[in-house]
Amino acid sequence: MSIDKSTKAARGTVQCENTNINLLKANDFVADIIRKEMASKNTLLVNITSSAGSGKTTLMQKTAEKLKDKIKIAVMVGDLETERDAERIRETGIQALQIVTGGICHLEAQMIHQVLDQFDLPSIDLLFIENVGNLVCPASFDLGEDYRVTLMATTEGDDKPKKYPRMFLTSDMMLVSKSDLLPYLPFSVEAVTKDAREVNHELEVIQMSSISEEGIDEWCDWLVEKVKQKQQA
Amino acid sequence: MHETSIVNGIFRTLEQEFDTEKLHSMKGIYVKVGILSNIEPRLLMNAYEAFLLSNPNYHNTQLHVEMVDLKIQCESCDHITDVKNYRFLCDKCQKPSKNVIQGEEMLIHKVEFDD
Repeated sequence: MSIDKSTKAARGTVQCENTNINLLKANDFVADIIRKEMASKNTLLVNITSSAGSGKTTLMQKTAEKLKDKIKIAVMVGDLETERDAERIRETGIQALQIVTGGICHLEAQMIHQVLDQFDLPSIDLLFIENVGNLVCPASFDLGEDYRVTLMATTEGDDKPKKYPRMFLTSDMMLVSKSDLLPYLPFSVEAVTKDAREVNHELEVIQMSSISEEGIDEWCDWLVEKVKQKQQA
Repeated sequence: MHETSIVNGIFRTLEQEFDTEKLHSMKGIYVKVGILSNIEPRLLMNAYEAFLLSNPNYHNTQLHVEMVDLKIQCESCDHITDVKNYRFLCDKCQKPSKNVIQGEEMLIHKVEFDD
């Protein structure tokens, strides 16, 4: 990265420089490198975000099980500690790599870029990033993904989109997960969809459950379609 | 936690823009953060104080944080709306819009140096 350094001489007692520098410039610079790399390898990159415990890893397992004979999938998964999620995903027979953030509450583009060479990208159709479970900080960090998908579990309550608006504004898809529990919960899919679409009117919504498999076919079809579009681009 | 990353980001960015010598004469950093940026000014100041403890070269440098409201500009009628309660709807024609023109930023908009 070559950036001209300022050589302006100081004038007066206090010199001001008016700028418009994005605080996340370094992150966004790396995100663009990732985006170009993925475009050249025709690999679709999908960033999966949600609160902790909303079913991201279970969805990764289910998706791998359903699609592994159709397309080649790999996963990188971020957590503060442990290798547990990557191990669970590997049990389904796909490549999974754990990124241990050591206390950092989100993934940054640099962390993704550092592990990209662990994957044989030309042979991978779809690479998932399973982000750290958190609806706040991950919303601000572009990872070079093609699509951002946010899981919203029925157990979390239907008031989340207005509480964490940036995540829903920057997502392309909201998966209302754990729909098999709907009969037991005071959760309205209609209300959550309405609130989320007040924030982001283009948001796609699928009601799904990795246990009952409701919506899983629709989700898998969406992914396969996006992979096709990426490979034709 | 993410405020610590932001503070590191501020200094990493400034180090790319300005010479080290000049940076050590820096008096003030002015940042604008939109309410959608998920930055809490008080926590950002705490993270900044913590950064100064381990980077004494900057102990004369003040951080100023300005919060910025959320505005959208309608793609159909160009009308600018102050977004309230995260309803991304044009005031005038009631069409939904994601065209955020203010409120997402995390910017260093001014840097002040001592002579």
